[in-house]
Amino acid sequence: MRRSAALSILVALAAFIAIWQLVVVVSGFPPFILPAPGAVLVRWATAWSAGTLTPHLLATLQEVALGFVVGAGAALLVGYALARSALIERLLSPYLVAAQATPILALAPLIALWFGPGLAGKVLICALIVFFPVAVATMVGIRSVDAGLLELGRSLRATRRQVLTTLEVPAALPSILGGMRVGVTLAVVGAIVGEWAGAERGLGVLINLARGSLFDIPLMFATLLTIALVGIVLYLVVVLVERRLVGAR
Amino acid sequence: MTARPGAIRVEGVTLSFPRRDGGRLPVLDGVDLAIDGGGIVALIGPNGSGKSSLLRVIAGLVAPDRGTVTVDGDEITTPDPRIGLVFQEARLLPWRSAAENITYPLELAGWPTMRRAERLDALTELVGLDPSVRANRPTELSGGQRQRVALARALALQPGVLLLDEPFSALDALSRERFDLELLGLWERAGSTIVLVTHNIAEAILVADRVVVLSRRPGRVVADLTVDLARPRSIADLDAAVVSRTARDVRRHLGEEAAA
Repeated sequence: MRRSAALSILVALAAFIAIWQLVVVVSGFPPFILPAPGAVLVRWATAWSAGTLTPHLLATLQEVALGFVVGAGAALLVGYALARSALIERLLSPYLVAAQATPILALAPLIALWFGPGLAGKVLICALIVFFPVAVATMVGIRSVDAGLLELGRSLRATRRQVLTTLEVPAALPSILGGMRVGVTLAVVGAIVGEWAGAERGLGVLINLARGSLFDIPLMFATLLTIALVGIVLYLVVVLVERRLVGAR
Repeated sequence: MTARPGAIRVEGVTLSFPRRDGGRLPVLDGVDLAIDGGGIVALIGPNGSGKSSLLRVIAGLVAPDRGTVTVDGDEITTPDPRIGLVFQEARLLPWRSAAENITYPLELAGWPTMRRAERLDALTELVGLDPSVRANRPTELSGGQRQRVALARALALQPGVLLLDEPFSALDALSRERFDLELLGLWERAGSTIVLVTHNIAEAILVADRVVVLSRRPGRVVADLTVDLARPRSIADLDAAVVSRTARDVRRHLGEEAAA
């Protein structure tokens, strides 16, 4: 089963590269519009070996990690409060929905203006974009905890803390981790948007450099490839954590 | 002779639940019940007669509008470690193994790991759970194994009172008969007072000393019948239970309630 899954991923990847190559050949686009996959791969390898990608990748990873921790941490607390208090839900819901409805692209310049081009602004943008899916998933997960299990906890005289740690959190974990799967990929988007709004380093900055002053389109594609790989790897990390914590129930 | 622990007194218990329209739904109406320590009483009645609600009041999970429940003279207003409860569904935590489910009450009560492990061995043996399935998750257990785990969990803190809310209703007929007999064996070994809610007249008579019949909603006690079957009981007594005088009386009272 695992072998066939790996095979299907490889086949899909090969098909994607083949279609890309076909478009390059058939369209006749010059390399500065659409470089061939081989050229991108070569540029990707040279960017790694020359140390072009590493500092930008590390900067983006730092923003993503901190933003995810801050955003998901706050979302867990708020999501729990929303699930368990009708008053808090009534008070906070309009602001949460309004914040979610406002495009992060519109907020990013404002945040950059307030917090400057340093790490804090990027972390805040990542945290904002991660917050909503994790908060909603936490709220839904906690609300969906089987009332029978909560009654069992009461019959066994579980304290509020014990109910939280031994019943509510484990029961809501599949939903919470589902929100985190979405959140972690959005965190990458948040970091890139934050870097576009103003930064000295990061994969978003490298895209701007490759498109602008360097005019190195294969490098731009190589950076996009790196961003996609970061998203995939982080997503898989959450999936692994989910398998470990939730397993087969 | 000193009285055995686990004596239950239910006095004038009246219970109602709020309705969506703002009114109240009467569930129990002045229920009185006295059970000596170590006795087995079956509660039987039509659907909606408040059997399960009465069990929850005794367990301290639901506060009555009026009336009191005492165990060994102490009023029960919140869940009490002297009372164990087995629900109709096993209600096992799906992310824990069978063993972790059994020891869950001990964990909540702060027992150290070593002591929990010793108690686990005793409980596994007490309820007849196959030790080889202790590491299995609930989804990997049969219906009967799940109920054994639920029973062991309810007995973990050695309660003087064991409340059983139709615990074997999801099992097939043969398994259910076997469990009824095992429950009797367990009662002899553990010595807890048992209150069994059931819809099954034969099961009530086979297991209990007394069968208490509740009326249609709001539930009140319409009959308190002593079972005329000698102990110890075996599967051979099941036929006698079906045609016993107690069974006739229970059917008559239930029939009157259905016709009312």
